[in-house]
Amino acid sequence: MKDLSITVCGVTFPNPFMLSSSVVSNTAEMIARAFDAGFGGVSYKGIGGPSVEIINPAPRMHSLNLGSKKLVGLQNVEQTTDRPLKDNIQDVIWLKKHYPKNPVMVNIMGFNKEEWKYLAKVFEDAGADMLELNFSCPHMSVEGSGMKVGQAFKLVRDFMEIVKSSVKIPVFAKLTSNVTDVTEPAMYAKEGGADGITAVNTVRGVIEVNVDNFVPYPNVFGKGAISGYSGPGIKPISLKCIVELAKKKELGLPLAGCGGIETWIDAVAFLLSGASLIQMTTSIIRYGHRLVEDLIEGLSFYMEEKGFKKVEDIIGKALPNYHETIDFDLSRQGAAQFDLDRCIGCGVCYIACQDAGGQCIEWDAEKRRPKIDQEKCYSCMICSFVCPVDNPPLITFKEIKGKKIYTPPPSKLQKIIK
Amino acid sequence: MVKKKKEIKSRNDFFHLPEVYTLGQAILEADRCLLCYDAPCSKGCPAETDPGKFIKKLRLRNIKGAVKTVKENNILGGVCGLVCPVDKLCEEECLETGIDRPINIGKLQRFLVEYGWDIGFNPLNKKKNKDINIAIIGSGSAGLICAAELAKEGHNVTIFEKNEKLGGNLRYGIPPFKLDDKFLDREIEDILTLGVEIKTNHEFKGKGSIENLLKQGFKAIFISAGLTNPYKLKIPGADSKNVITWYDFLWEVNGGDINKVIEMVKNKNVAIIGGGSVAMDVGITCKLLNANSVYCIALESMEDLPADREDIHKAIDCHVIIKPQSQIKEISTKNGEVIGVKGTEIKLLKKGDFSPSNIKDIPGTEFSFKIGSVIFAIGSGVDSKNKEYLPLVEFDKKRYIKVNKKTLETSVKGIFAGGDIINGPGLVVDAVKDGKQAAKSIMNFLNK
Repeated sequence: MKDLSITVCGVTFPNPFMLSSSVVSNTAEMIARAFDAGFGGVSYKGIGGPSVEIINPAPRMHSLNLGSKKLVGLQNVEQTTDRPLKDNIQDVIWLKKHYPKNPVMVNIMGFNKEEWKYLAKVFEDAGADMLELNFSCPHMSVEGSGMKVGQAFKLVRDFMEIVKSSVKIPVFAKLTSNVTDVTEPAMYAKEGGADGITAVNTVRGVIEVNVDNFVPYPNVFGKGAISGYSGPGIKPISLKCIVELAKKKELGLPLAGCGGIETWIDAVAFLLSGASLIQMTTSIIRYGHRLVEDLIEGLSFYMEEKGFKKVEDIIGKALPNYHETIDFDLSRQGAAQFDLDRCIGCGVCYIACQDAGGQCIEWDAEKRRPKIDQEKCYSCMICSFVCPVDNPPLITFKEIKGKKIYTPPPSKLQKIIK
Repeated sequence: MVKKKKEIKSRNDFFHLPEVYTLGQAILEADRCLLCYDAPCSKGCPAETDPGKFIKKLRLRNIKGAVKTVKENNILGGVCGLVCPVDKLCEEECLETGIDRPINIGKLQRFLVEYGWDIGFNPLNKKKNKDINIAIIGSGSAGLICAAELAKEGHNVTIFEKNEKLGGNLRYGIPPFKLDDKFLDREIEDILTLGVEIKTNHEFKGKGSIENLLKQGFKAIFISAGLTNPYKLKIPGADSKNVITWYDFLWEVNGGDINKVIEMVKNKNVAIIGGGSVAMDVGITCKLLNANSVYCIALESMEDLPADREDIHKAIDCHVIIKPQSQIKEISTKNGEVIGVKGTEIKLLKKGDFSPSNIKDIPGTEFSFKIGSVIFAIGSGVDSKNKEYLPLVEFDKKRYIKVNKKTLETSVKGIFAGGDIINGPGLVVDAVKDGKQAAKSIMNFLNK
């Protein structure tokens, strides 16, 4: 097994895999189980200041299913921790005593300057290795809290400054994707002295409405809310945020990637795109702590295969390959290639191409096989997305030297309209 | 995911192994898994191969990790995937969950092992050499597993095998449509790669010749010599020409002279005595070798047949005629050649007890078949020479080696035994379990 350790802001994690601040990091007992299973670190569940009473709606969550696949997304209206501050402090002390090698980052959320300062100090004293300031909870209703801070960029800077002036340990800012450009609040966080950025918190969303009683899920006694959506469904958004932050040269801070990570392949994609740490919740809800074994083994085998010695060597390796679309070489063209020996004759490629593609696939009804006009194919590749023959795929993209871009001729129907 | 439809196979194609999953099919199958907590399937595997874990790994696309789980837990994982009666073990437990049809665990396991071979991934590591010699007697499943487990921990293991090739019953007692030489050789190669030494064509001779190994530099011995004495019924005609045992029959099919058995069964009616999986295997093989009518005559009722359900279905598919609750009384001969069998249907006075005093003929059900060959498939007993090679080791009433059931240690310090030689005829996975346990016990013994 490879050494997967990584040092971020002077804190060494045995591996980059962390519990994100959520239901999965609510108690020391739970976190200890995760450490035993192999997780490297934790972002301890969001702790609010003493001024706010503990509130948590019931029920708190709802699952988005896709066919037989459960939990492709998760909706939650949960607020900060449901436990008293005193208990959380004791838990952090206990964790640091029993798991000294597993860094504990404590996620805090103040509601005014004094609270930010107080919470930061208290958890530094309890032994936290790092802090994570929650500027991003998507369903806090109090002004000056959660996502509302992340959207009012000056507050990000001000609260960061206060915390940084009261503690010595590294401080991350956890940002929301519910802004036009995530690098903007990130730069304000940096101005306030942030040591790193966690991106991103849940995305504001609504996953389902009960069509019988018209109440969106989760149904909190007749009321629903636009609230935090997480899981594999938001991975493209969280990965995008990491890329934007990593490519922002003026920022130059270490990043913790969060949002929809489930397999080692997802984790590697985040590392390649600039993240140093990997946080997760929904996948743990789905599979339990046991999934970390597969993240560790998968990453380790990957590093062995690719000849990477340290996790650090992977970070940002994909960044040079992200471009603006204007930079694409449009003179090169290609077409979908079919390995018809393996075709089972289901015809779904034909339907997709005729109804949503370049209309270049015809159907040989007798042989039950698609017939492809490569000249007309414009490489949308949707045929390959619906083809059930996979691993390796039956339909692949191939460049065709000298191929011209095909423009569909005027529609036959035009004559009739005239 | 879905593969091109295959043309319908001719009957002779049964002599080849069934198709292996593609990666896509395997992932799709793994996707059906409920990923049970404390997986029942894993509890159903005596060899502790842990299907719950390797399927979960496959599901999360940790394919190398899944291969590693199979091979580390059971270095004969591929063989078990092919020959295990999964519907009585892991898949039965899977079905208990209420899933509409169990996950094809055996097929997934075999896929993973072959996938590892295809991509050249060997998850097995060998620890530093400990310079301790250990002897393994017999290279069936128990012996091979024990050898591998000890070799992984850095011991010098020598396997003594009386046949030309390794594998014991895996090689000689299972027909090629279930497990062929090529597959077995490849899986044994994984074991030999760990640096195990082999002495094939090795016959022990003389009193105490196995026990004496302890004086010849071996610190421990594991006896997994199996059962080498296939039973025949003592009925009139049992010594005629064309009356043989399952072991001799399958031995010729697998490594001897197949023409000899073809001559015995081709265009003839064959009676097989027995109702276990071996009887079904032999019946199917006879049909593949173009026998006419093939009868499996068993004492048990149809629902109590000891054969694995899948084997029974396969036999019926091949038009083997199963005659349950029946007993053969006589093999009729003419000029020393078999011409038929005679028997009656029976009932048991007490259910499940097959001792002669409990079996009662049903008058008026007498039958006789025209038969050209008879094959006994009623199990095997121990080698009568065991006591000579092992004068100090204690045996039980059935002449199996007596062991501490937990540690598999015999009455002689440093000598351990496992597999059929202590339990009687059993499954490959049970032998695997013994092999693993023996290796653990031997290491404990050495550390004392």
